[in-house]
Amino acid sequence: MTMARKALMISPELCIGCRGCQTACKEWNRLSVIKTRNTGTYENPPDLTPNLYNRIRFVEMPSETNLVRWLFVSQRCMHCDDAGCMKICPAPGALFKTKEGAVSFNKDKCIGCKLCVVGCPFNIPRYDDKDKVSKCHLCSDRIAEGLMPACAKTCPTGAIRYGDRDSLIDGAKKIGYEKVYGEKDLGGLGAIYVFKDAPKIYGIDEHPAIPETVVFWHKVLKPLAYLSLGGAVAVSLLHYVAFGPKKDEGGEEK
Amino acid sequence: MTNHWIDIKNADVILVMGANPAENHPISMKWVMKAQERGAKLIVVDPRFTRTAAKADIYASMRSGTDIAFLGGMIKYILDNNLYFKEYAVNYTNAPFLVNPEFKGPGELDGIFSGYDPKTRKYDKKTWSYQMDEKGLPKKDPTLKDPNCVFQLLKKHYSRYTLNKASAITGTPKEKLIEVYKTYASTGKPNRVGTELYAMGWTQHTVGTQNIRAMAIIQLLLGNIGMAGGGVNALRGESNVQGSTDHGLLFHILPGYLPVPSATLVDLKTYIEKLTPKTKDPKSVNWWGNRGKYITSYLKTIYGDRATKDNDFGYAWLPKLDEGMNASWLMLFDQMFKGKIEGFFAWGQNPACSTSNAGKARKALSKLDWMVNVNLFDNETGSFWKGPEMKPSEVKTEVFQLPAASSVEKEGSITNSSRLAQWRYEAIEPMGQSKPDSEIMNELYFRVKKLYQKQGGKFPEPILNLTWNYGAKGPDGKIKTIDIHRAAKEINGYYLEDLFDKKVTPPKQLGKKGELCATFVHLQADGTTSCGNWIYCQSYTQKEGKVINMMARRKKTDPTGLGLFPEWAWAWPVNRRILYNRASVNLEGKPWDPKRAVIKWNPTKLTPDGKPGVWEGDVPDGPATPMADEKAGKYPFIMRADGMGAIFGPGLADGPFPEHYEPLECPIQENPMSKKHRINPTAKLFYSKEGGLPEDIFLSRDIRYPYVATTYRVTEHWQTGVLTRHQPWQLEMMPQQFVEISKELAEEKGIKSGDKVEVSSARGKVWAIAVVTNRFKPFRVMNSSVHQVGLPWCFGWQYPEDGSGGDSSNLLTPTIGDPNTMIPETKAFMVNIEKARG
Amino acid sequence: MTEMVRKTNAFEIINHWVLAISFFILAISGYGFLFQLEEMNSIFGSFNQMRVIHNWVGVVFAASLFLTLFSYIVEALSVSADDIGWIIRGGGYFSKKAKVPPQGKLNTGQKLYYLVALLTGIAIAAFGFVIWLMPGVKKWILISHLVHNISFDLMVIAIPLHIYLATLANPGTFRIMVYGTVPLEWARKRHEKWLREMGKI
Repeated sequence: MTMARKALMISPELCIGCRGCQTACKEWNRLSVIKTRNTGTYENPPDLTPNLYNRIRFVEMPSETNLVRWLFVSQRCMHCDDAGCMKICPAPGALFKTKEGAVSFNKDKCIGCKLCVVGCPFNIPRYDDKDKVSKCHLCSDRIAEGLMPACAKTCPTGAIRYGDRDSLIDGAKKIGYEKVYGEKDLGGLGAIYVFKDAPKIYGIDEHPAIPETVVFWHKVLKPLAYLSLGGAVAVSLLHYVAFGPKKDEGGEEK
Repeated sequence: MTNHWIDIKNADVILVMGANPAENHPISMKWVMKAQERGAKLIVVDPRFTRTAAKADIYASMRSGTDIAFLGGMIKYILDNNLYFKEYAVNYTNAPFLVNPEFKGPGELDGIFSGYDPKTRKYDKKTWSYQMDEKGLPKKDPTLKDPNCVFQLLKKHYSRYTLNKASAITGTPKEKLIEVYKTYASTGKPNRVGTELYAMGWTQHTVGTQNIRAMAIIQLLLGNIGMAGGGVNALRGESNVQGSTDHGLLFHILPGYLPVPSATLVDLKTYIEKLTPKTKDPKSVNWWGNRGKYITSYLKTIYGDRATKDNDFGYAWLPKLDEGMNASWLMLFDQMFKGKIEGFFAWGQNPACSTSNAGKARKALSKLDWMVNVNLFDNETGSFWKGPEMKPSEVKTEVFQLPAASSVEKEGSITNSSRLAQWRYEAIEPMGQSKPDSEIMNELYFRVKKLYQKQGGKFPEPILNLTWNYGAKGPDGKIKTIDIHRAAKEINGYYLEDLFDKKVTPPKQLGKKGELCATFVHLQADGTTSCGNWIYCQSYTQKEGKVINMMARRKKTDPTGLGLFPEWAWAWPVNRRILYNRASVNLEGKPWDPKRAVIKWNPTKLTPDGKPGVWEGDVPDGPATPMADEKAGKYPFIMRADGMGAIFGPGLADGPFPEHYEPLECPIQENPMSKKHRINPTAKLFYSKEGGLPEDIFLSRDIRYPYVATTYRVTEHWQTGVLTRHQPWQLEMMPQQFVEISKELAEEKGIKSGDKVEVSSARGKVWAIAVVTNRFKPFRVMNSSVHQVGLPWCFGWQYPEDGSGGDSSNLLTPTIGDPNTMIPETKAFMVNIEKARG
Repeated sequence: MTEMVRKTNAFEIINHWVLAISFFILAISGYGFLFQLEEMNSIFGSFNQMRVIHNWVGVVFAASLFLTLFSYIVEALSVSADDIGWIIRGGGYFSKKAKVPPQGKLNTGQKLYYLVALLTGIAIAAFGFVIWLMPGVKKWILISHLVHNISFDLMVIAIPLHIYLATLANPGTFRIMVYGTVPLEWARKRHEKWLREMGKI
């Protein structure tokens, strides 16, 4: 049985920066806090932490028509279909896809190597004090029960919506968004964004990609590892059949 | 709110001024954005570019405390360009009323209206009256041309609010003013509606009431009151503050907005006679004409069988104010500071941080003998005696802490800004020794009563005669646990005798003895009904013998499509979702905007008694036929004696038209509107040249305090932050007191974003982290540059315990209030800012 | 009695076995990581343990590899015209009749193999340590991950060939890794120059 892929649709234009999602996420996932201080901005904590899966960035931009532009952008796991973190992860089951399409994790299986950190095009995974991976998992426990992720449930303005990925995209196109960020990238993101302007204005990479070396490794080196071994063994066998062992003339070895 | 939260979605233009819904009422933005999705324009006017402004179609910056200049300019713009809704203004407002020719305005009297007495700082309002005809009705000029008619007086008054003047006062660029005026005035057409959202940004000024009045005038001119998507909407800052105000929170009102009697109203008869508005106009409903029924039913509720006709229904036992006495917040703390108050219950509040001029409030607490702090957590109030600059050994106040249960730990109703009373259930049991407020009161009541019974004491009757039937009694006579449903039923009220409609023959039975009242229309002035709060009558009712808690209804049907959801919970009065909705139709009862019909008159449909003609849609402001009906038609503004929306408002202390006055502390020498009166001439001064407490000092236009400041809340914290500072997730996001300043000011002062700075006023100082931003810009005020800064007031020294949060910005704010409400002016005052040493 | 000559000492034998075993552990767990082979749990218990083992066995491997320098590097770097002849004749592996030039203690193929093993071994170890010790440092990890894997691919070619050549392809060779000695005659045919240097012939 296949299930329609689920996704979050994030609309910074609708976000009022209330950060209800930031708190709801922490509440549902029972996440602890760090001691922060005000550094001259509303944005806090200053970065994702192992106990902060979702964070609103406050971006102050110059504006042509107004005093200023103040953008609020959710930073979190994008739940890529072609997920760099999963690709590079050496431990089976540490990172896994749920049937809804969420990239979830299992701390018991994580071996703490942090390769996912470098495999991620969005710099999302964080490691806790026990060196286990930690990040947004689309509230996979909630969605498995048919509930919305805590952030989407809390969002008062619909800036974070949860639903069938296809219908979210159709909906966005119907209300005039030509492009949906993440529609095609990385096999299609599970956290898709609609932007009024270029993604870089919102501090998001226009063309996100898994690092080339990781792709090369995945596409070439990985299969080669089997091929090389198999090849070497096969060549040896062939040689043995064709030429046989080297024998000393005379054979006085006995 | 005249309207309700969901109704914001029906607006074409939303003016947010004096509020910051994205930060303080985030859920409301859902409806703002629904409106924007439909093409509505959001205008945000604020000194600072807020999170709400981030969503605005038009943002206009405006110096704190100059709203009336801004709105006065808009009134002039509307009138100059004939953008008002004439049919509405002529028929539904007092615009055509002729005013006493002796009435003079500030344009003629250099800043004041006629009747001012500088000694008492009060007006004699004799001249603020209408010319009456022989029938005792106000004279009208429906052409609006008579120079003494309200409309012409309005025009004359605001002719002084030219674009140049408005811009020079507010610091808003002229083009922005025009853009805002033009956009908002576009709602003067019958098929366009504008709404206004305000909160403490308007009320917390020495001209707070007049700020709102100015908007009410605009809304009446544009025909936006009573309409779906219209109204003047106060966003209440606390989930149940509407409920608590309805139920007599303030010193001068009893539940249901009945005035608290003063000592000179010696008996119930005098109270009713003096306080019941009268009209000779048969077309005016004058609903407050029923005051006698409501006060009597209230007395029957609180004194029960002890209240009889013979003892004036116990009127004598009601607490009385001395004539002219003001017992508002600032006055209470002033009295406390002067040692005139012995004990104090700080119940669910934190005055050591929330009171304007909190330094004075903290000192005042030390003058008490005892204080009881009822709260979820200890706070700056409960621990004031060990706070900054306090010497615990010298504080005599004995403090008791009573742990209270939180809102999710108890059952009951809350009433939100939509006047919507919703029933809530206990989610979890109270933690530890904490108790719901009602249980704490129950304990208190029985102990106090016992003391009165044992020791007598002065005036024991109010306590001894109080009804207290909220549950089963134990052997000691104390109620074991409070059944909150009983309280809700008591508020709704009961028929104490069978009630008959005697106008019909045979008399028709309306109510059965012992049953819950069906509607406040049934309440009586003869002691045969009880009702704890007349506006809540019908909230917990009985239909065909079956008891129904209307507030617990949860049906999600929306027959009008306007989001009224009439069967979701219950709104006062009588489940009316939009107040003054009779103004949303023309004289014939047809909606001004058929696409957004709140109500409409259906002349052919039959009433339950078989008569033709009923109102469809929302619960109308009375069932009377439309106004065009010469015999039975009624005016739409039923709560006003003259039945009209008040463009001319003679009821207020500071004038019938809003006039710009500068805040108590301001950056300019004189009021650009009138040289003689810089500040509101009727605001009570706690400090002046003649004297006053040094704690109440203010310094205006003083080089030591050159910057305008304002205070506000942030999404992440609630009120003084007692709840949210104890919530690590919230504190993580917003950990420290900060001050927002413009890049220009930061450069002048050598301050970098993230620097620790000291903000000081004539009254106190706080440290804060500088948030240097483009969201504040210097204002061009009267040809000079004025800087403004802003601070939240959600921090306090007591928690977080390491002091890393900072302290309340109310240590800076002044002791002065609006003359009508005495709400303190915390939204505009003067400060200095310096980089902190060390 | 066949006359024997000692080709390797005890140290070299032990070190070679240490190197070989560590390589096998690393390679097996390496495949486990590479292809997320859950079957490895039956060998290593869990991936967490496998990671610990992989890392620490890597240390052993690196140390062992380092010690080989003392045994082979000098010989491996000595080049002569005979090496060219050896290469031209394919080491004699592709014809029964081909006659390769006389070889030293290590023949040209062995020398080449050692250099390949040494270089890939250094690379895989060094960059393995980076992956282990600099987790999350994107630039370094990406390079290390790449080189570690390229080296691995090379190693899984080289090592099986090495094993084949030292066993099936050349009967009699394997005993060097057990006893350290070979028959003089066997050695004369394969390492004539070495015997000459030692004055055995």
